[in-house]
Amino acid sequence: MVRLRWQCLLCGSVRAVETHLLGKTNFGSPGGVTTQDHYVRQLWHITYVFAVPIGLIVLGGIVWCMIRYRVRPGHDRTPSQFQYHIPIEATYTIVPLVIVAIVFGYMYNAENHVDAIAKNPAVAITVEGFQWGWRFTYPNGHEEVGTVANELDINSNDNLPVLFMPAGETVQLHLVSDDVIHTFYVPEFLFQRDLIPGINNVVDFNVIKPGLYSGQCNNICGVYHAYMRFLVQVMPVAEYNAWYAQQPAGSITTAGVPAQS
Amino acid sequence: MTLIQDRPEEHLVHEPVLMEIVPGPRPRGLVKYITSTDHKQIGLNYLVTSFIGFLFAGLLAEGIRTQLIVPNNHFVTESVYNQLFTMHGTIMLFVFLGPFAFAGLGNYLIPLMIGAPDMAFPRFNNLSYWLYLGGFLVMSCGFLTNNGAANFGWFGYAPLTEAIHSPGPGADMWIIGVALTGFSGIFTAVNIITTIFTLRAPGMVMFRMPVFVWNQLVTMFLLLLAFPVLTAAFALLWIDRHLDGHFYDPTHGGQPILWQNLFWFFGHPEVYILALPYFGIVTEVLATMSKKPVFGYKGMIGATLSIGALSMGVWAHHMYTTGAVLLPFFAALSLLIAVPTGIKFFNWIGTMWRGTITLNTAFLFCCGFLVMFLFGGITGIILAQPVLDFQLHNTYFIVAHFHYVMFGGSAFAGLGGIYYWYPKMTGRMMDERLGKLSFLVLLIGFNLCFFPQHDLGLRGMPRRIETYNAGMGWNFLNMISSIGAYIAGIGVLLTVINLFYSYRRGQIAGDNPWDGQTLEWACSSPPPDHNFEALPPIRSERPVWDANHPDQLTKVGH
Repeated sequence: MVRLRWQCLLCGSVRAVETHLLGKTNFGSPGGVTTQDHYVRQLWHITYVFAVPIGLIVLGGIVWCMIRYRVRPGHDRTPSQFQYHIPIEATYTIVPLVIVAIVFGYMYNAENHVDAIAKNPAVAITVEGFQWGWRFTYPNGHEEVGTVANELDINSNDNLPVLFMPAGETVQLHLVSDDVIHTFYVPEFLFQRDLIPGINNVVDFNVIKPGLYSGQCNNICGVYHAYMRFLVQVMPVAEYNAWYAQQPAGSITTAGVPAQS
Repeated sequence: MTLIQDRPEEHLVHEPVLMEIVPGPRPRGLVKYITSTDHKQIGLNYLVTSFIGFLFAGLLAEGIRTQLIVPNNHFVTESVYNQLFTMHGTIMLFVFLGPFAFAGLGNYLIPLMIGAPDMAFPRFNNLSYWLYLGGFLVMSCGFLTNNGAANFGWFGYAPLTEAIHSPGPGADMWIIGVALTGFSGIFTAVNIITTIFTLRAPGMVMFRMPVFVWNQLVTMFLLLLAFPVLTAAFALLWIDRHLDGHFYDPTHGGQPILWQNLFWFFGHPEVYILALPYFGIVTEVLATMSKKPVFGYKGMIGATLSIGALSMGVWAHHMYTTGAVLLPFFAALSLLIAVPTGIKFFNWIGTMWRGTITLNTAFLFCCGFLVMFLFGGITGIILAQPVLDFQLHNTYFIVAHFHYVMFGGSAFAGLGGIYYWYPKMTGRMMDERLGKLSFLVLLIGFNLCFFPQHDLGLRGMPRRIETYNAGMGWNFLNMISSIGAYIAGIGVLLTVINLFYSYRRGQIAGDNPWDGQTLEWACSSPPPDHNFEALPPIRSERPVWDANHPDQLTKVGH
């Protein structure tokens, strides 16, 4: 009975810590705005639940030894010369193995959800990176293009290429590159994927929260790598459809956020 | 076993001949530096050269941090900035961290620790050093060329490295320089493996070698497996650039991803090449300063071996975001590395447990290693998971992670190693007060510099960007980080001053100033040519301790 109560208490307190402390913080990471956010956050939590206590135990051990067993130089006391303790050694071999297995299980599950590709996405957009700019091509051939040449000042977001996406729908991005490797990276999506010449990467996003997000190439791609930025405009579906209907097939818009969005 | 017993007779036959070949006074000064085949001189050459590389690459890093201290800064141009971080990474990894430990300390200490008179191939050893120095100079001289040095990051992803995207001799000099250090590494590995396998003193069986030597041995095997792949990848790149090859050129059917696979097949073992010898340093220092044997000696060796084995199968965790690798396999192996690393940590604590600890500079640096490597290891667990890596890859979180591992970890251990073995190499102690001050300043500067970078990464700041938008919320953290970098620079300089000061003014050390346990403390400081007049009996992994403490013998045959 007593043991049971202890277990309940332990479980309860772990859960309390998880919901009250961990549940409210993102550990500084931007709150994800896609449906994938759930899995990423879950993994952060699982990792922290194991890593923080283990880290504290090890750190405590190190600091304890430094303080407790410290002697002044020249104080000759020869300590006991023990060298092996098989049960302890076995414990700290086997317990981490179990923890690794648990973390891997969660990771495997999360990965299958995060990397899943829908058969029938609502919108499929081709994202092309080049030195140095982006080209977003929509199903009707409409292109949104922006290059470094239009971007005069790193402090200004005015002339960045914009990727328009509907919210609450599965948007499939086909990532291609013709020159060197670039990376499609939007911090708020908690996701990135490389654009590699010769490899056609496909990723799905389902963004819940409409808004304007900034993205950036995240792989060194030459001199103006830092300036290879873009914006993602996520709009409610009706608004997106209205915007899309206004874009003539095959038209090209060069860099710039619409005045109203 | 038979090998060891046979050797003394061979020596008797050859020794008089050797004496006749080397007559007259030994060369000194510059001539000695250039011509010596003595493992100690070559080891010192490596140590000094690699430390100069450390200072040079550190200077480049200060340039990087100065550029990033405020948004939209124009301290250097885009191209120069790219050169700075490329050469910072390349020199730190190929010139400093690796050679400092496996070639510098390895050369100097391994023969001493196993009771050998010299390396197995002394002239080959000399050749390795000159190849290495050549590599260092060639890659650094890229800065003197028209287009500047290489500017595509230290892992030079194709096709950015192709001639059409990165013209100019800087990139070629980078290729040649790295390849030369690669050859030097391979030769050193052959030399040290042969030395360890054939030149151990009578009684020094494999399981009586210090953990430092074991870690070096595993490192050398990793070198032998990894560096040829690197050199081959660089040769292909050279063919691409100059002989119209298309190995990595996608426009002619080449595969950029091939470069990544080849490079990281080298690159991940390389990470452990840069870590294992430093684990060895920490193990030796902690044991000596606690006046205890290494806790779980055999478990420690087992952990080293399994880290070595696992490290060959995790290269693609650098490529999670390419979408071209089998994620679960590499994630599982990457996570598994946490287990032997954890064993090492618990063994280090066990080594200190109920010891008699003197908090001197060498020990403090090694404790700094423990704490910061622990932190870098935990962020490593985060990054080993592909889903989290999708968020953090190539952001400043990664930069913070590997600086905690490589700088807060390995480089701190390396500095601890300098303070620990300096008396053996020069005969003089390093100044303790200056040393502790250096440790404190470096510790504060390092953490100020790199801790905020975790947060920068979580806020989405990509690495390798030359400047950034003021409205991203990165300004304050970058400012802190840059200030930390300057403070860390001062910390390193204090140790440099200490090195020079103590060389003339340091206390005379004597043969065994720390009450050391392993064989290098049995010879004089600095050791004479061919090292040993006489060896203590080797009945455990710490013969010098056994000789000095007959009442506290190391238990044998656990």
